This record gives sequence, C-alpha cells and structure tokens, in this order.
Amino acid sequence: MDKKIINQVINIVGPENVLTDNEERICYSYDGTFKRGIPDIVVFPGNTQEVVSIIKLANSEKIPVFPRGAGTGLSGGSIPQANGIALVMTKMNKIKEINENDLLAVVEPGVITGHLHQEVEKLNLFYPPDPASLKTCTMGGNIAENAGGPRAFKYGVTRDYVLGLEVVTPTGKVMRTGGRTVKNVTGYDLTRLLTGSEGTLGVITEITVRLIPKPKYKKTALVIFDNLDDAAKTVTVVISEGVIPATLELMDRITIACVEKNTKLGLPLDAEAILLMEVDGSDAQTTEEINIIQNICKKNNCRRIEVASTFEEREKLWKARRAVSSAIVQLKPTKISEDATVPRSKIPEMIRRLREIATKYNLNLPVFGHAGDGNLHPNIIADKSDKEEMERVEKAVSEIFEAALELGGTLSGEHGVGIMKKPYLEWELGEVGLEYLKTIKKAVDPNNILNPGKIF
Amino acid sequence: MLEKQYREMLNKCSRCGGCQAHCPLYTETGREPYVARGKVELIENLQGGNLEWNDRLAEIFSTCLLCGSCSENCPNGVEVDKMVRAARKDLVAARGLPIIKKNVFQHLLKYNGRLKTIGKLLAFYQKSGLQKVLRGTGILKLFPMKLAEKERILPRISGKAFRDSFPAKTGLDNPKLKVAYFTGCVTNLVTPQVGASVLKVLSSNNVEVIIPVQYCCGVPALASGEMEVAKFLAAENIKYFKSLDVDYIVMDCATCFSTWLEYPELLKSEDASQLAKKVMDINIFLVEILDIKLEPRNLGIKVTYHDPCHLKRTPGGKSSPRELLKRLSPCYEYVELELADRCCGSAGSFNLTHYDLSQKVAMHKVDSIANSKAEIVASACPSCIMQLNHSLQNSGSKVEAKHVIELVAECIESDE
Repeated sequence: MDKKIINQVINIVGPENVLTDNEERICYSYDGTFKRGIPDIVVFPGNTQEVVSIIKLANSEKIPVFPRGAGTGLSGGSIPQANGIALVMTKMNKIKEINENDLLAVVEPGVITGHLHQEVEKLNLFYPPDPASLKTCTMGGNIAENAGGPRAFKYGVTRDYVLGLEVVTPTGKVMRTGGRTVKNVTGYDLTRLLTGSEGTLGVITEITVRLIPKPKYKKTALVIFDNLDDAAKTVTVVISEGVIPATLELMDRITIACVEKNTKLGLPLDAEAILLMEVDGSDAQTTEEINIIQNICKKNNCRRIEVASTFEEREKLWKARRAVSSAIVQLKPTKISEDATVPRSKIPEMIRRLREIATKYNLNLPVFGHAGDGNLHPNIIADKSDKEEMERVEKAVSEIFEAALELGGTLSGEHGVGIMKKPYLEWELGEVGLEYLKTIKKAVDPNNILNPGKIF
Repeated sequence: MLEKQYREMLNKCSRCGGCQAHCPLYTETGREPYVARGKVELIENLQGGNLEWNDRLAEIFSTCLLCGSCSENCPNGVEVDKMVRAARKDLVAARGLPIIKKNVFQHLLKYNGRLKTIGKLLAFYQKSGLQKVLRGTGILKLFPMKLAEKERILPRISGKAFRDSFPAKTGLDNPKLKVAYFTGCVTNLVTPQVGASVLKVLSSNNVEVIIPVQYCCGVPALASGEMEVAKFLAAENIKYFKSLDVDYIVMDCATCFSTWLEYPELLKSEDASQLAKKVMDINIFLVEILDIKLEPRNLGIKVTYHDPCHLKRTPGGKSSPRELLKRLSPCYEYVELELADRCCGSAGSFNLTHYDLSQKVAMHKVDSIANSKAEIVASACPSCIMQLNHSLQNSGSKVEAKHVIELVAECIESDE
C-alpha cells in the first residue's frame, strides 16, 4: 500500500492502532475456515468518527475495506480478498447501556457475546443467541452474519433480537436504523437488511438488542435410540405436544463412536442416535415438560433415558455433546463445517442422503446438530494436505447443498455465505434473487468498497 | 524444522479462535500475533517458507507466557505452548540467542559458583547501602527499559546460599521415609526461608532429607529454546540424583517440578524416566504421602491461594496446596481466589523482558486478591511469589505473598 495512504490512516487512528508488518498482517488473513487472504494494512478504529474517516479515505483512494470482529466466522466472511484494509472492530468494546425497564442493551460492535450474556444475566435478564464461539465472537460479527446457536429453535436467531443499529454506510455516512421499540414499521426494515449483510452494506458501529427475562429453571434429558426414525419421530411428537425445548441436539452413530472412542463415557456404539433435550422456564413448567418428553421417548421406543435437573447432573449429560468437536478431529485434522438446513420433517431423509454422499465419496461425515430447527451441521473430516481427498470433499459439499435445497431447505442456516458458499448462491436464490442482491449492493456501495468478493 | 509431532499439530488447529478467551496476553493486547492461533499461523508460514525468522518474529514468539491456558482449553487438543517452545528452539538454531540470555545460559547457569557470586553481589548491593544510594539519586530511572521498576522485583536476599547453610543430610535416627530435596535456584539464592521451612516440616514428620549437589533445573534455557544448555543441566541433575537411595525427590518450586517431569522427553534416557517417577511437589507429598496432621493455633488470618501454571495441571496439583491451607485452620482461614488459576504474568524472565505487559497481567491477580480480602496470598512457586509481591507492592497493597510451606512450617511447634 502507498506510504502516503498509510500515513493518512495513521493520522486518523494513531500509529498504535495500525499494523503494517508482514508478520502481523498474516495474523489477520484467516477466520475459522481454511481460506486465507492477507490485508495490506490492519486498522483498529476506536469510534464511529474514525470509521467514517477510514471509509471516506477508502472511497477516495478506491481501497477495499474488510470489516472484522474476532475472526471466528465459518464462511470466510471477514477474510480480505484483494488486499485492502482489514478493519478490526474489537477495540470498540463497551457495553453502553443495559436498560431493565425497556428490556434492551446498547453495545459497541467489539463486545464479546459471552460477556454481554454475563452482564445481562447478573440482572436476571437474558440475551438468547448463543453461537458456539460465544466466549470469543463479537456482537458486531454476530449481527453481520446473523448468527444462530443451539437455542435458536425456541428463542430465534440474532435478527430476532436486533432492535436498532448505528451503521457507517459504504460511502462513509452515519445512519441509524430501527430504534428502541419492539414495534417499528417506519420505512423499509433496514435493521433486518443490515443484519446478515456480511459486512457488505455497512460497518456496524452500535447495536441495540432486545432482552427478555431469564428463565429460572432448566431440566435436561439424554435419550438413546436404536433407530434414527424413532428419534426423528420423537422430535416431531414432542413439538406437536406443545413442548418447545430450549436445546434439541442430535448426534448420529458416527459421532457417538468418535466421542466414545475419545472419552469413554460408556455411550452405546450400536445406537443410531442420541438426543439431548433441555427445557427451561418456571419450576412447574419444566417439570411438566420433562415428564411429557419422557413419556414420548418411551412410547417411541427409546432404549434409555436419563433426566437431570441440578447443574452438576446436567453438565454430566452435556459431556458427550461438548466432547464432539475435539473427538471428531481425531479422525483427521481438517474439519469442513457445513450448516445446510432442512425443514424439521426432512431430518431423517437428510441424514440418509448425507450417509449416501459420505459413502459415495468415501469421506468421514459425522452428523450432529440442532434437530429442533433442522440445522444439522454435517461435518466433513478430511486432511487439507491431501489434494485428492479435498477434491472429493468439494464434490460432496456441492451434493449436500443440492440435497438440502431439494428437501426445501437452505445452503446456510447460520454461518453465512461469505466466500465458502458463493458458488452455490444462485441455486437457492435464482437469477432474479441474485440480481436483486447485486442491485442493492451497487446502489449503496457504488465504489464496491465494503467487503467486495463476498456473498456473490 | 519442527519435530514431527508439532508439525502434525499444526494441521489440527482449525483457527476457531477459541484461544482468545483464555490467553492472558490477548486479553491485554487484543492482537492476533499474541494469541495461540496467530502463532500457529506464523509457524505454518515459517514451515512453508513464506516467512523467515527476523526481529519482529523473535519479538512475537518471545511474547508468550507459556502458561498453557490455550492448550488446556483447545477443543482440538493443539498444544500451542509446546509449539511455541519448539519454535523458539528453531529460532535459536536459525539466529542464536539474544546476547544477554546467551551469556546467562552459557556462563552462569552451568556454574553454581558463579550463580552464588551473583547472589552475593546482589546481597552486597542491597545491604551496603548502594541500593539506597542508587534508588535515592534516581540514577536507575535514567536507564532505559524501566530499570528502576525491574530492580525492585528482586526481594531482599540473604547473600548466603541455602544449600551452604544446611547440612547435606538431616540425619534422623529412624526415619519413616527418605527424600532428596531439589531446592531450585530461587529458594537457594533468594528465599532460603522457604527451604528452611521444607526442612522443618519434613523433619518434624520424621522424614530424612538429603540435599545433593544440583544445578539449575534448566527451565530458562528450555523455555528459550537453548536445548543444549537445557540438556546439559538435566543430565547433570540426573547424574547427582540417580544413585541416591531415596523414596521421593521433593521440590518446592512448581516450575522446577514440571521441568523434571520433562527430563525423560528431553534426555530420552532410562535414568531420567525412572527418576521422574519419584519426583513430587512438596504440597502433594505432604497431603498424599504423609497426610500430615496439623494442630495450628488460632490466629484467624485470611489466606488465599494462587495456582502456579506449572503445578495446576498435575494430578493433585490444584487440590493439595488448598488441602494444606485448609488443614491450617483456624490459624489461617482459607478463602478461594477468583480466577486463581490465571497466570500471574511472571513466566521466568518474561517479567523482565516484557515488564509493562507482565505487570498488566499481574494487575488482574492483584485485583482478585484485593476482592478476596485475604491478608496473605499463598502459592507454590517461588517465581510466582516474587512476581505477586512485586505487583502487590506496586499497587500499594499490604498483602504479602508467601509459599504454602512457610505457612505450614509456622504452624509446627519447633522441637529445637
């Protein structure tokens, strides 16, 4: 990058907030995927005005800007494409307000999601979105990717909690969308457009989120099934009986085998599925709901059911689920984490198709994920240094997407498109849909400054 | 080139970024080069030939506490602290050590006599009034690198080495157990009262203590990637300890202890493997082997405990020191410390080479010690204790850091 421009950037944010050494820039070339792109310069703005100045400079010099939070994304959304500026928002990390009367919080984009959880829960309030990376990921990144998490089935995803945003537009102006009320239909719903826009339509500089009262009790059931269809049917019946579990996680046979091999928890290797269900709410409600769940599981031929209500006992039941991530990478080092999602009723069919795909391409493909919302997380476990295998992975991924779409599902439930799913976008959106997206992008970002090369 | 096992580990890191939540230095800096996955990415680039060792990389790789929190919490089981050490070894091979470290390792660590002389010189400096004069004139402040602050890290030292002050054998008539005591350099040269406490507690429990000839455990060299010096020191220690007829080898320093546990991997010798089985931290020894009973007087002093990184991951390493402190009730009233197992920021010479950052890390500790309302913070690693005392003094706190064994010794009525 031109020395003159670097100096201008330094003038805006101060020398301590700019990284230009190759060794440092390399550390901003990645996210949670295996894709890479090294930025020319890494910049840490400290306030909205600095973001405005950087974006204006980028427009006048025609330099692409790649907004970034903690860099934990799983779609390559924050990875720099054609050099340019990595705009790291982690320094703007203040919780500005937690309002118990209006049930909302106002935060800067660099606030760590788990940190917000802790702070609101101290006041007996609850911010439900819980992406797996919540101990490190930032609120700004969650908004940009519209992050989900295991609690999404009962409580919804990030977009269901965003009331309002402050955004620096791609041409460097400050815009406020939405506000501090649950109801707001004034104008287009720009808050929802920006939420999940993957950094292409604006840089988020302030977020107002809705909070709800924190559920007081939790009860957990771990259920083992000999037959996958019985597990799937259990899920359907539980929901039709009016019980919406806060967590409804499924592990398939391959996942069970990996976990057992690694942890020796005594999981049955001949079982086809394990369901982990957790209900939350009042004492009476959770007691009633867990009883209903127990009855349904028994009627649907479960082999074994364990129920827990204290924290320690519940943690024991969670142990198997928590051990999944580390267990499956023991097979091979590279994890390609997909999040193709299908309607709930299609879960057994999707799992069957995933097995066929795994067999066809001779790949390790454990399935574990959020059964309540059909977000199954098929994970291909491969070795990125094995070129031939990675070619098979690519073919398998494309067939997984095809299967999900055929079953009425979507390419991405919660990771976003980024660069990983870009080639498949038209399959789902069609030509008209894709064109619509591009038209919006061109209209608000005429110089194609913000996160170019992403989504489409 | 990295060893094979670390090359394989490179592939296991998925760059999920989970390490950010556990790295004390990332908390302070907010910068990726200082967190585990950033270093893994840099190692991968070094391996792939996209980078070559240079000053910037040397600085980045020196900025790690080796506290192991990232490894402990990595969902994929990547041992980044070990990879950083392997990278430092690579760096030493490629560019050599910084001149100060090179001199310390080659000309001091290998020679007990020279180490002692340094100790005596420092004691003279403190006692002669020279320290007072230098501090008073403000001359130290004229030096770069915060010399004035760093000079205060070292507590008042005795000048007489512990191992020179006590016989090589305690010589009990009919001991129930015999142990060899590896004192470590800090106890030997800086805080001999810790060593005296070890002897008092063991003797009063009818355990014979032998203090053999010994050298630095080698951790300064090992952590810096200077493997030849580390191997030399390990081999010397094995040589002096292998022929002893003892049941255990005890140590009061968590760092020496963890280094001894690495001797088998370092030396790949049968002697090292056999001796590593006898090695035991003093806290674990007192609780699990001796199961000591204490009859403390009622003082009602609140005490809390800081987990040294080098002890907390050993079986019994978290529970034994706490158990001892609880057995000191009502002499001492034990209270748990928030984030007790978070690194204090000492990390060997890190608190000298990265003074400001090290002090920032320590301030979290100082805050949680203040919140605990304890009057004493106990620990089980002499270098943690030095760091804690320095940071507590910096913050104007009256809390004192002490070794658990000192508190135990105080509660035992002396026979003499």
